[in-house]
Amino acid sequence: MELTRRDLLTWGGGATAGLLLTPLPWKVLDDTSKWTQNWPWIPQPSRAPIEVKRSFCTLCPNGCDLRVRVASGTPVGVSPGPQSALCPLAFGAHQLNWHPGRLRQVSHLGKAASWNDALAAFRKAAVEGPIAVVDAYPRRAGSSVMENFARRQGGTYCIILSAEERSLAPYAAWSGAPVTSLGYDFEHARTILSFGAPLLDGWGAPGRVPRLWSTGALKLIQVEPSLSRTANAAWRWIQVPSGSEAALAAGLARVLLEEHISPARAPLPPTTVAEAAAQTGIAEETIRELARTLAAHGPAVAIAADGDPAVAVLNFAVGSIGARGGIVRRREGGPSYLTADNLNGHFRAVLIDATVPWDFAPQADAEVFRFAAWNGGGSRAHWLLPAPGFLEELTDVPTAPGSAVDTYAIAANLSTPPADVRSPAGFLAQVDSALPSVEDIIHARCRELFRTHTGALQGEETVPVSRFAAPERLEEALRTGSVWVAGPPRSGGLRCRFEQWPQPTAPRATADWTATWVPPVLPPLAVKLYRESSLREPPAGRSI
Amino acid sequence: MTRISLTFGLGLATALAAGWFAFPYALYVRRAEPLDFRHKAHAEKSGVSQCTDCHALRDDGSFAGIPQADVCAPCHNESMGKRNWLVNFRQPANVWFSHAIHMRRAKLDCATCHGPYGESAQPVAYQQDRISGYSRQVMDMNTCEKCHRERKVEVGCLGCHK
Repeated sequence: MELTRRDLLTWGGGATAGLLLTPLPWKVLDDTSKWTQNWPWIPQPSRAPIEVKRSFCTLCPNGCDLRVRVASGTPVGVSPGPQSALCPLAFGAHQLNWHPGRLRQVSHLGKAASWNDALAAFRKAAVEGPIAVVDAYPRRAGSSVMENFARRQGGTYCIILSAEERSLAPYAAWSGAPVTSLGYDFEHARTILSFGAPLLDGWGAPGRVPRLWSTGALKLIQVEPSLSRTANAAWRWIQVPSGSEAALAAGLARVLLEEHISPARAPLPPTTVAEAAAQTGIAEETIRELARTLAAHGPAVAIAADGDPAVAVLNFAVGSIGARGGIVRRREGGPSYLTADNLNGHFRAVLIDATVPWDFAPQADAEVFRFAAWNGGGSRAHWLLPAPGFLEELTDVPTAPGSAVDTYAIAANLSTPPADVRSPAGFLAQVDSALPSVEDIIHARCRELFRTHTGALQGEETVPVSRFAAPERLEEALRTGSVWVAGPPRSGGLRCRFEQWPQPTAPRATADWTATWVPPVLPPLAVKLYRESSLREPPAGRSI
Repeated sequence: MTRISLTFGLGLATALAAGWFAFPYALYVRRAEPLDFRHKAHAEKSGVSQCTDCHALRDDGSFAGIPQADVCAPCHNESMGKRNWLVNFRQPANVWFSHAIHMRRAKLDCATCHGPYGESAQPVAYQQDRISGYSRQVMDMNTCEKCHRERKVEVGCLGCHK
C-alpha cells in the first residue's frame, strides 16, 4: 500500500484530535508556566522557618501596623496588625525591594556615577548657594536631620502636603494653626458629609473610616458627580453636577442658620436655598431635609476633599470646628512648615527626599539631587541617588495626617538594604558631621515621651507611659511594635476666625489623592489586588 | 471502513497512547532516594503507628522536615549517617504551608493530602518533572483550592503564597 499525502494529513488530523484528548498539551502548558517562575534571575523567597515580626508601613504617612513574615532576614509576606487594615500596595510591599525598577546605583544625567561624585557635587553646591530640601513625610527623625541641615546651611526646608492635609488647609488659614496639627475626629462623629473624599476607598489610613462605617453608628453622605465606590457604599449619595458643590454647601449652611437648627452662629451665606437648588439640580426640600439630617444626627462634619474653602466653610454653620466629632487641633500640635507650592527664590540645588512623589518638578535651573528607592523613568533630576526600600531602614512614624490624636511609632528595619544604598540623612551626615543621627533623634524622642508621662503604649496590651520604669524600656516596646497614643484632643482647641463667605470658585480638578505617596512602581501582588479588591481605586498614572 | 477512517483512527490511537502512556513516562525522570526506605516494614517491625512518631512538628507547629539519623538510632545500631532525601511533597518556595493549621486546627489526617504513603510496601521513587523541576507528587494549587472550597475555608492568595 502506497502512502499518499492525503494519508499523512489524515493521520495528522487524527493525531491532533487525539492529543487534545490527552493531558499532554495542558500539562506542558502548566509545567511551562511553572518553569518560568523558577528562572534563575527571578528572586525566590528563602526556605527557612518563618518568623512573624511587627513593624509599620512607611510607604505613606499613615504608618499602618504590620505583621511581617520574615524568612532568613527577608520579608516574605505582609499582613495587617490586629488594629489595622492595609491597602493593596502594603500587602505586596515586600516584593517592592525586588522590583526591576529598584535603584541600586548612583547615576548622574543618566550615566553611572559614584557616591563620592554625588557628595563632591553636593558639597560644591552647598558652598556656592542656598539649598532647598523637599520632604513629603515631615516630623520623622530623618526629616529632622534634613530640616537641621537646611537651617545650618541657610537653606530652606519645605514639605508637600498629603491629600488629607490639603483638605484641612482652609482651617489652618482661618485659625493660624499649622495644618499638620489639625485632624478629623471621625471616631466621635455620627454623620460625615463628604464632598468627593473617597472615605470608604481607603482615604487616609485605609481601615479608619471603613471600621467606623462597619459599626453601623456612622452616617456617611457622599456628595459626588459620579457613583464612586464610596458613593455606592455610602448611606446616601447626593449627585450634583461637577462644580456645584460649593452651592450645595452654601444652601445647607443657609438652612442650618435660617432655621436655627444648628447651635453655630454665623452670617447667612449670600446664596439662597432656591439658588442652590437651581445650581445643583436638587430640590429645595431635599436640601432642607439634608440640613436637618446633619443637625439631628450630630456631631456632624463636612469634608472638602480638594480643600475648597467655599465647601469647608459649611463647618462653621454645622458647628464642627474645634468641636468633638469635628475638625480638631491635636494636643501636641506641630510646627508650621513651608509648603513646596510656596517655595520662592533661587536655589543652587534642591535635595528631594525619597518620600516625595516621583513626578514632583522643582525649579528648572537648580541642580537636583533626587533620592528614590524605585525608578519611575523620565526623571528630571541631575542626580538619582538610591535610597533604602521597604523596611530597609530604621525610621519613626509620627502622627498620620488627618488623625485627631497624636501617635508615635518606630518602624523597625527588617531587611538589609543593597550595598550601594544610602538614606538622605546618612548622606547629609557625610556633608555635615555635626548633624544628629536618626538613632539619636529617636532616642531623644523616646526620652521626651517618657519624661512627659502622658498617653499610653498600645500593643498586645495597653500600658500607660507612667508605668515604664526607664526610657529604654519604653523605646524597646516601641521598637517591637507598640504605638504611643496621646490623650483625646482638647475641646475648643481650634478657633477659626470667620470673615466672609468665600466666593464660589471655578470647578477644580480634585488631585488624585494617592499621587503624593504611591511609589512609581507597583509590586505584582498589589497589581493583582488592585484589580480584584474593592478597597482602593488603582493609583492614577500607574500602569497595572 | 474507509481508508480515511482507518488512517484518522490510527493517528488518534497513536496520539492517545503517546499522550496517556509515553508522555508521562518521558516527562518524569526517576531519581533514587539515598535509602530504600519502606514505610510499611518499619511500621510493622517498630510498632510505630502514627506518622508524627517520626515526622515531628516543631513547637511552633512548623514541619521539622524529613527525620534524620537520630530518629533511626534507637533501632539501628550501625550509624545511618546524614541522608539527603528527595522530598516528594516539598512545596515551591513561593508557598507558605502550615502543617500546624491543617493538622491541629482542621484536624486533617496526614493521608488526606499525602495519600496512603505510610502504607507503601515498596520504596516510592522520586519522580521529577523535567520541565517544571517539581516532584510529581507535590500537591498543586487546584487540589488545595478544591479542598478549601469543599470545607468552606477561605481561598485567598495570601493565605498560602509568600
